Amino acid sequence: MLRKLTRRLRALLQKDLMERELDEEVRFHLEKEIEQNLQHGMSAEEARYAALRSFGGVAQIKERCRDRRGVRAIEEIGQDLRYAARMLIKQKGLTAVAVIALALGIGANTAIFSIVNAVLLRQLPFAEPERILTLWENNVKDGIERDDVSPANFLDWRERSTLFEEMAFANPHSLDYLGDEPETWQAALVSDGFFRIFGVNALVGRTFLPEEYRAVSDRVVILSYGLWQRRFGADPKIIGQKLVLDSEPMTVVGVMPPEFKLNLFDQEKDLWAPQVFGEDLRRQRRATYLKVLARLKPGVTTERAQAEMNSIAAQLSQEYPQTNSGVGIMTVPLTEQMVGRARPALWVLSAAVGFVLLIACANIASLLLARGREREREFAIRAAIGAGRGRLIRQLLTESLLLAVAGCAGGLLLATWGIDLIIALSPGNIPRLDQVGLDRTTLAFSFATAMLTAVIFGLIPALQFSKPDLHNCLKESGQTTTGSSARHRLRSALVVAEIALALVLLVGAGLLLRSFDRLLRINPGFAMDKVVSLQVFIWDRYNTPAQRAAYAQQVLEKLEAVPGVQAVGITTALPLLESGTDTSYPFTVEGRPAAPPGGEPTIFSTIATDGYFAATGVPLLRGRLFNQFDTTAAPGVTLINDTLARRHFSDEDPVGRKITVRFTGRGQPSPTTLEIIGVVGDVRHDGLDKEPRPEFFRPYTQSPSGSIIFVVRTSADPLTLVPTLKARIWEVNPTQPFYSIATLDSLISDSLKARRFSLILLGSFAVLALALAMVGIYGVMSFTTAQRTHEIGIRMALGAQAGSVLKLVVGQGMKLTLIGVAVGLLASLALTRLMKSLLFGVSATDPLTFVMIALLLAGVSLVACYLPARRAMKVDPMVALRYE
Amino acid sequence: MKKQKTDLLQGTLDLLVLKTLQGSPKHGWDIAQRIKQLSEDILQVNQGSLYPALHRLEEQELIAAEWGASENNRRAKYYKLTAAGRKRLATDTREWERFTWAMAQILQAS
Repeated sequence: MLRKLTRRLRALLQKDLMERELDEEVRFHLEKEIEQNLQHGMSAEEARYAALRSFGGVAQIKERCRDRRGVRAIEEIGQDLRYAARMLIKQKGLTAVAVIALALGIGANTAIFSIVNAVLLRQLPFAEPERILTLWENNVKDGIERDDVSPANFLDWRERSTLFEEMAFANPHSLDYLGDEPETWQAALVSDGFFRIFGVNALVGRTFLPEEYRAVSDRVVILSYGLWQRRFGADPKIIGQKLVLDSEPMTVVGVMPPEFKLNLFDQEKDLWAPQVFGEDLRRQRRATYLKVLARLKPGVTTERAQAEMNSIAAQLSQEYPQTNSGVGIMTVPLTEQMVGRARPALWVLSAAVGFVLLIACANIASLLLARGREREREFAIRAAIGAGRGRLIRQLLTESLLLAVAGCAGGLLLATWGIDLIIALSPGNIPRLDQVGLDRTTLAFSFATAMLTAVIFGLIPALQFSKPDLHNCLKESGQTTTGSSARHRLRSALVVAEIALALVLLVGAGLLLRSFDRLLRINPGFAMDKVVSLQVFIWDRYNTPAQRAAYAQQVLEKLEAVPGVQAVGITTALPLLESGTDTSYPFTVEGRPAAPPGGEPTIFSTIATDGYFAATGVPLLRGRLFNQFDTTAAPGVTLINDTLARRHFSDEDPVGRKITVRFTGRGQPSPTTLEIIGVVGDVRHDGLDKEPRPEFFRPYTQSPSGSIIFVVRTSADPLTLVPTLKARIWEVNPTQPFYSIATLDSLISDSLKARRFSLILLGSFAVLALALAMVGIYGVMSFTTAQRTHEIGIRMALGAQAGSVLKLVVGQGMKLTLIGVAVGLLASLALTRLMKSLLFGVSATDPLTFVMIALLLAGVSLVACYLPARRAMKVDPMVALRYE
Repeated sequence: MKKQKTDLLQGTLDLLVLKTLQGSPKHGWDIAQRIKQLSEDILQVNQGSLYPALHRLEEQELIAAEWGASENNRRAKYYKLTAAGRKRLATDTREWERFTWAMAQILQAS
């Protein structure tokens, strides 16, 4: 065994020596034979010839001996590699083009895959993440699939369910930090067991102790990694320090690791604090604002848990018909909740880059087929000496592999840049994007893709050239006009495929573009430009309604006095701004039969001043706005929006009618009757692509809320005025932190960011695909016209007009294009339905888009065919005739 | 008398080579000559098959090679049997005898 290995190593490393030995052995034998022949009386020459003849073909024998050495395979691979490298270096142009195309294709695929891997494929960084579920209230009747949970419901769910190891909630909250640089931090108040659900320990310090969930004094907090880095310089001595939050000192007991990001809320949380359960909280069954998570017991499936929760929901809806009728429970695995939204877009992008790579492969295969003509002779000779077909195929595939490896290297480089670019462009709500990078899985994928592409684009030429037409090629003149008809058909087929693929991509991008355009045209219901909002919470500083009303009045007066300000108003809910105060309440219209309990329609409540409507440009459709007579002493009034008016007062004038709203929740008044004084225009509150919701407004003077958003319309760029506005607000209360400051059109553009991102990416890939496909068709057309130069010369010499030659050549190319377009259209019809969830206002088979794209492609293709045709026309017939 | 070069199957060539090497080490030429002599010229080994066979047997470690000096002091490659080769020779000889006995039985039956 060892000897075998040594012999093989010898055969590899001491090849020269072994060759010489073989030589010597054979020579010795020959000489002996010659001697014998001489003894038998032959002449010297005869003796030699006889010996050689009886020996047989010396070269072949040596070859067979070499075969026996057992290292043939390795030697041949080495040979192939060296030869392939030499060939590629000789054909610099071809190699360069191929490597660039491959680098682009493989790079794009690697970049997208690394994102798909980090976002969708990799497991969440928690213990056994498949056992973590999120639970939601859902109300099919109201069309709410996943709603937050109310505290009383949560308690009942936790008590009655048997299949969960832990169930806990996170309650969004904001805490004002009043140290140097006051800031408002996003926090989550969590219940006992929250951290245990994830199985994640604190990076520094610890998580909460059971008694800390009950303590009312000695409050504690845990910081997020981001906050710890940003504000406290990642100093481990933060543990044990006290921070003053919401005017209360709280001790920092731990810091969570950086991967502890949940993407459950619109903003990542900076802090966690234990939720202390008061009695009023336990009774809250209607107000829904908790995010509930749970961990399944080992061996329990999601289906079983869902079934159990369904029965619990049924029990609760019977026990509490007023609040829980029709309320079900929806379990969603955490992974799905966190990344499910990103899934459709990412898969579409993966398919897109896959197409781009296929087109690149088709191009390279086409190139190899074209250039291979020059090498036909070489392969013919090798076949003649005895190279088997397998050997020739192996040789060609080795060249393809080398190209692919070079392309892979280039692709990885491009991918690192590409990933950085994509992250920079990303809309910020793609979860886990910070974990994207070139890890082992991505590298393996990249390499595998390279190998696969080598086979794809290498196999076609390899199969073609490994059976060379020996007779034709070895002749002196090497005519190949007819011999390549099969090859020509192959190249044509490749071009058709490329065009079809490019068409599908372009259609996809076109549909996204139209969706985006549709979205932009939607009237959001308010004037977008030159409006800025500043959000503050004043509950803690101003305890009574009178104090709050006074504060608001002071600030409004100061703001109105700022030069450049056209209108100022207050609201508690701004469109597209997550303000944490969006609640809906059941109501009845006075004079109409009461609906069964629990079955009343609900409407969204906003509190505003009359200046709000002026500042946002929401039109008054009928009746009047609030005025100075709508005080707390006067009867309650309300403005309703158009949707509410149309839904519930479709055939009568709502002005003057009264509605009774049943407010619930902490600090809310009991059922209140309000007179409708007017109807205002709709505002698309949840986003341009969602329907407006039925809303009613109450005047701020009648219910001064502590959650205030000042809305300011300016005549110039609002951002220049922001420092002045802040200064004025601080004049009334110097320690007022701002929760958020945003211009309305930045809010809109933020809401469009995700779509714009998909559009940019898909659009780029589609354009790339188009470019590659056009290069492909240009290449083929150039090649065929060069081939037919001879024929063209004859035609022109016989009197054909330049125009008809042009038509001939271009006609050929356009025929291919049309076939490609037809195939592409069929494929698009089948495939675009897969991206339906990404579209808005446009059907997946929108005829306009399809037709426009087809025309675009045909047009570009026409140019790509025309250019080489024009060159062909300019050929001097005499030159063409002599061309062979 | 016309000498016919009987085609030899690969396995039988191996067996002949092994048998020939049962005595002293020999080089390729010797082996060919010896086979010719012992079979009274009926079996003439095709040199084209002999050397590949020798290299194959060497690869299988049934014979071992060594360079030495020939009769007229020229360098030649001498082959000899290994222990494994000796064992293979014994088994293959038995196989061959069984085979020929069986053939004889069938051919004699009429």
